[in-house]
Amino acid sequence: MTLNTDRRPVGTDVINLNFGRKPLDYDVMIVGAGVAGMETAASMGDMGYKVLLVEKNASIGGRAILLSKVFPTLDCASCVVTPKMASVAHHPNVQLMTYSEVDGIVRKADGTFAVELHRKAAYVDFDACSGCGKCTEICTVTVPDEFNYGLVTRRVAHIPFPQAVPKKAIIDRRGEAPCTFTCPANVKASGYISLVRAGRYEEAFNLHLENAPLVGSLARACYAPCESDCTRGEKEGTVHIRGIKRFMADRYYSAHSAPEYGPAAERRGKKVAVVGSGPSGLAAAFALGREGYDVTIFEADSEPGGILRWGIPAYRLPKDVVARDVANITALGVEIRTNSRIGSATALLEQGYSAVYLATGDRGGRKLAVPGEELAEVYDAVEYLHKLNGGTPPAFSGKTVIVIGGGNVAIDSARSAVRLGARAVRLFCLESRSEMPAHRWEIQEAEDDGVEMSNSWGVGEILGRDGRVSGIDLIRCTSVFDAEHRFRPTFDKTVHQKIDGDVIITAIGLAPNTAAFAQEVELQRNGVIKVDPGTLSTSRPGVFAGGDAVTGPSMIVTAIGQGRRAAFYIDRYLKGESLNVPFDGVLEKADKNLVLEEAEHFVERQPVPQHTLSLEERRKTFECYEQVMTEAEARQEAQRCMNCGECSQCMECVSVCAPQCIDFTQKPIPLSLNVGTVVMSTGFEILDPATKELLGYGKYPDVISGPQMDRLLAPTRPYNGVLRPSDGKEPESIAILLCVGSRDHTVCNPLCCRIGCMYAMKHAQLAMGALPMAEVTIYTIDLRAFGKGYDEFYEQSKAMGIEFVKGKVARIEQLANGNLALHYEDQLGEGGMRTREHDLVVLTVGFLPNTAAFSLYKGGELAANNFGYVREIDPNSEPARTNVDGLFAAGATIGVMDIPDTVLHSGAAAAQAAAYLERTRAG
Amino acid sequence: MAQKRRIGVYVCHCGGNISDHVNVKEVADALRGEAGVEVSRTHMFTCSDASQQEMIDEIKEKKLDGLVIASCSPKLHMFTFRAMAERAGLNPYQYVHVNLREQCSWAHTGDKVGATQKGINLVRAGVAKCALTHPLTAIRIETQPRVLVVGAGVAGMRAAISLAGMGLSVFIVERDKEPGGWALHAGRMGPDDQYGPEIVANLLRQIRKHENIILYTSAELRGKTGHIGDYTATVRLSGEEDVSLNVGTIIVTTGFTPYEPHDGEYGWGKPGVVTLKDFRKMLEAGDGPLTCNGIPVRDVGFIYCVGSRQTKSDTCPEPNTYCSRFCCMATTFSASLLHEFEKKSGQTINQYHLYRDVRTYGHLETVYTKARADGALFLRWDPEQPPRVEQSNGRLAIKVKDTLLGDEELEIGVDLVVLATGMTPRKNDTLNNVLKVPESKDGFYKEIHIKLRPVETVIDGVFIAGTAQGPKNLAESVASSLAAVAKTGGQLKKGYVNLEPLIAKIDTDKCVWCDECLKACSYGAIERVRCGDKEVAMVIESSCKGEGACVPICAHDAIDIEGFRDDQIMAMIDASLKESVAA
Repeated sequence: MTLNTDRRPVGTDVINLNFGRKPLDYDVMIVGAGVAGMETAASMGDMGYKVLLVEKNASIGGRAILLSKVFPTLDCASCVVTPKMASVAHHPNVQLMTYSEVDGIVRKADGTFAVELHRKAAYVDFDACSGCGKCTEICTVTVPDEFNYGLVTRRVAHIPFPQAVPKKAIIDRRGEAPCTFTCPANVKASGYISLVRAGRYEEAFNLHLENAPLVGSLARACYAPCESDCTRGEKEGTVHIRGIKRFMADRYYSAHSAPEYGPAAERRGKKVAVVGSGPSGLAAAFALGREGYDVTIFEADSEPGGILRWGIPAYRLPKDVVARDVANITALGVEIRTNSRIGSATALLEQGYSAVYLATGDRGGRKLAVPGEELAEVYDAVEYLHKLNGGTPPAFSGKTVIVIGGGNVAIDSARSAVRLGARAVRLFCLESRSEMPAHRWEIQEAEDDGVEMSNSWGVGEILGRDGRVSGIDLIRCTSVFDAEHRFRPTFDKTVHQKIDGDVIITAIGLAPNTAAFAQEVELQRNGVIKVDPGTLSTSRPGVFAGGDAVTGPSMIVTAIGQGRRAAFYIDRYLKGESLNVPFDGVLEKADKNLVLEEAEHFVERQPVPQHTLSLEERRKTFECYEQVMTEAEARQEAQRCMNCGECSQCMECVSVCAPQCIDFTQKPIPLSLNVGTVVMSTGFEILDPATKELLGYGKYPDVISGPQMDRLLAPTRPYNGVLRPSDGKEPESIAILLCVGSRDHTVCNPLCCRIGCMYAMKHAQLAMGALPMAEVTIYTIDLRAFGKGYDEFYEQSKAMGIEFVKGKVARIEQLANGNLALHYEDQLGEGGMRTREHDLVVLTVGFLPNTAAFSLYKGGELAANNFGYVREIDPNSEPARTNVDGLFAAGATIGVMDIPDTVLHSGAAAAQAAAYLERTRAG
Repeated sequence: MAQKRRIGVYVCHCGGNISDHVNVKEVADALRGEAGVEVSRTHMFTCSDASQQEMIDEIKEKKLDGLVIASCSPKLHMFTFRAMAERAGLNPYQYVHVNLREQCSWAHTGDKVGATQKGINLVRAGVAKCALTHPLTAIRIETQPRVLVVGAGVAGMRAAISLAGMGLSVFIVERDKEPGGWALHAGRMGPDDQYGPEIVANLLRQIRKHENIILYTSAELRGKTGHIGDYTATVRLSGEEDVSLNVGTIIVTTGFTPYEPHDGEYGWGKPGVVTLKDFRKMLEAGDGPLTCNGIPVRDVGFIYCVGSRQTKSDTCPEPNTYCSRFCCMATTFSASLLHEFEKKSGQTINQYHLYRDVRTYGHLETVYTKARADGALFLRWDPEQPPRVEQSNGRLAIKVKDTLLGDEELEIGVDLVVLATGMTPRKNDTLNNVLKVPESKDGFYKEIHIKLRPVETVIDGVFIAGTAQGPKNLAESVASSLAAVAKTGGQLKKGYVNLEPLIAKIDTDKCVWCDECLKACSYGAIERVRCGDKEVAMVIESSCKGEGACVPICAHDAIDIEGFRDDQIMAMIDASLKESVAA
């Protein structure tokens, strides 16, 4: 007999024999590589069939490989299961597909099956990964280790367990952390937080540098949209991400007065011009400089930095910090030509620059267009702040300063005025308090500084006396926006007030600084440069634009994000590559609800209190009033991060991976296959012991589940000994409860779990071996030791001194001494309700069907039995056969069973599947 | 020693199983630098795939020509590492397995220093043996695409149908006149209420359709020669005529014998005391009320665990210590059948179930639940104080202490006592002598490994399935027989099997043909042949199991077993004594 004739090359006579049938990719697909799947695969492979074994986890071995020992022989589970794993993995007829999921199975008219499946993204190239485990050591994020049933944690970059087959690393990514996702520059906040948490401050700084070079400036002046989307904010309060950044930036800068790097070694030999040295221009220059381009920044002002240097007051952003940030860019050999106003992008191209990035930002503010605006003491906010930051502030001492405007610039102006010694600073704006564009906390801080806020006022006239400002006439603003939320203020001119004042500062909006290029590139109606939002290319080839010149007034970090984006496409443009590629490989935002759900048992972590100068002090000085966290505080604050995305993208794994197999751009790989038959060996689920609320699982740490006890006893045990989780004490009196959630109508699980009695006795025997002084009591209904050698195991357990109590435990509570009191009915002897004290309780939990099997079959309904397992249509004559002809179910998929029964049933499934293949082949 | 060997030594932690009691690093360090040892190191799990890969890489890179792995018992991983050696391009027979776990760490748990020293000695011996290995080739045997199934119960018949469906020819040998086994007489069978005779009839219909199944009834397996892939079975038909069947493998589905209570056991022998099987016959006998000795039955007592879970006593010198697994389900299922009868006939019958533990595992729990819902009363007794069945007032009385009622002694008047008798192994010495399959402690046929290889036996090509291996219900029997089909299918569909080359070799110069080896061999693997001018012994390669009984018996030292040659053993002894001699 020749097997697998279907796969001979087209053109041979065999194809004719199979006329009308699509060639098979595999004879059989087996779903789930636990004991049942492995046994079926090995049997069918031995018979010469081509087998595809699909496993959703990263390793084959199922639940059995996680066991300590196996009953009744007390063979080490590893010894029993690893040879099976190795033999399947190396079987010439078995193809393993781990970390893969089946999406759908349909039976076709010719009796074969069409299956859709995909390999999940592990963010690791399995072919290259050597399983060295370096990434798992350096990874900065820990999560509960599911392979130890949550008893301990593991890293996000992990190899499931020491005996994993294949032994490959996996990186868990639930999605992009909200902080990182929300950041316009995609600064990996989650990443540097986890690095700070790990004490790796320089790495944290360098990670930030990858996305945004102006670390110091952002640490002080960023509006931190990350913080507003922080999941911890749903609990005790948002993580102070900017504060952590401040710590890491300050620490780095105090250790490194200049960058540690120089120009990129590999030069591209092309020149790029950047117009404007604000955040966007600097970010673009940095990225291009690192790529090896010769970058020149043209800056109209006398010093670089744009808004950072000239706009933001020093109490928020000291200018030496800006200078140090700028050094991050110039260290790459980027030349900044100050006092160089550029009037034409075309001219730059003609001068030999291969590309131009326009990042000219905003120019001076808009005008009020009211009488009196021409008076000398009326300042435009931008000009006023420029003077202030240029070291020539106007003299406000003793004066009453009136600020017009409700945005951030207005607030900056007002708070600076306080620091310049103004007698009073009053701020008026059109908007109501809730409509003000300035951030809440900024308004609050301005008020703390002593700024008086008045909302819903418009300017009627600036009043003057003797050619000097004497006050202002205000009119009531009744609404700011129209129905479409467009800026269209309406006034009630009958309501007036006159305010005395000496100085007026107007901060009523900024206009883009783009007029010079109006003839060269297309502008929008509001004056901003029109660009392709994806690539930031303008209407003129070779000219790109970004920052406020494109977006209008925005945030520093938005401008930086645009600079980096522009650099990416300028690089591609200069290499002659297509611009039609996505920029950052950003995942979907991680589901906060999922994070919060999993965090239910997280300990409460209150925000670290922030240090600031006293109100008294801060009003007098332009010194930064926010003070940097200490190292301990920063790490404590970083501890509050909930690792929403699982992987934080700290990139440490990338730095240690010798085969360079980590790839964060990896995507799931879909596959469509045709197979001759399908065997479902999807196994079972473990009932959540917390369902039995009165037994205290999840509430008392020393109430553990049976699977957890197995881990405590396993050779690869997490604590290297049987210790109770709460305090690491060696238990002296262990209670093992049978039938927790089995034979139990209250949790809708009337079935006997079939293996609990045996695995509980195994735990008892092993515990007595590990802790010779401990007493072990098993609470039982019936003791079901029914298999070969099982009742003998029961007798042996009794002979070893394990106590068996007939009676179900109703309730467990913790005593003052930390031990647990078990209330139960003693059904033997004198009987009655009793209470007994133990210091470790093991709940031998029941099992539930894994309902995945049903959703995978899309070709109709795969029939279930009354208890939700796949129904065997005729167990007495046709084991493993389901209602779908050609689709078989092996092992616990039809009902939980022990390993020997699983091996037998899987052998039957293999025989059945083989018979089906022969039958359908014969046609 | 001719040429310097390049041996790799790998010592396994076994995740603590070994390293908790033996300092494995010290063992590896001690071997490093010894003659012929090229590398010596430890692994957390040598059997893990990743460790195997590392060893393969090293074998290739360092061009190793010998391999010693000190880990668990060779029963677990010898084949694992042989396969690994093969993948590394090393002859699998140049690998030596040292059992550092069962023979060292587990045996000396309290003495790490001593255990470590012993470990070093054991590994040294392994290296010494390895140094004297040379490449061997497995013996390839062509297989016959035919299977002999012994026993035509449901398990055997179902296996035959599956084998035939895979294109193999099948002979079924059944001792009884009729095929069908116990199911034929079982009537309605739990848990899903299928009718036994119907199951059998259905299987027979399918068997008739298959031309490549031959069913012999009133037939007995009387002889077996040959080896896996090529057995010749002698079958005696109707006690007179013998036929010879040439098959590749044999599946044994000979079933069980019901426990026969001894006189007086739970009233056995008294009128009205019956087995469950008899009771079911009474119930299904048809019309009229259920009577016992002509009297309508009002009360029935069921006693569980008869012949199962026994402890040794004067009346029970050879106890069946095992649980018979199927009886709880069968008896609780019968409870519902009796209830059904009650409803149908209008005859009121109380039923009392005297149990120790009700072992209706898994979904069988529903059968027990239904029995209770149907009104069956359950009383729990202790094996120290088993129920007594006595005659009183023309009826039967069961005296029992119910452990759930404070050990109060109850006297239950009944008309019928039903004993739920267990399964016992088939007593068939003739067959056992032919098959040579060893028995487990419980007397049922012994599998190679209860968990990993439950249908294979130490006799290559002979499989066990159904209740011949241990008590099972019908569905479980059938599943195991199909598992045996899958295993044998793997061997026969490939067309060949490989046999171990670790067999006896005769030095014809030394051999003088005294026939001692022939007498010592239990496998019939010695033949007398002419060699030049003298007669010598020759080993039949496919029959020899490498057992070695012939070696010490040979007065002329003419026999060696490959893999356990005298020079190897002597070298091992020398090596393991090295430290002591030096000291």
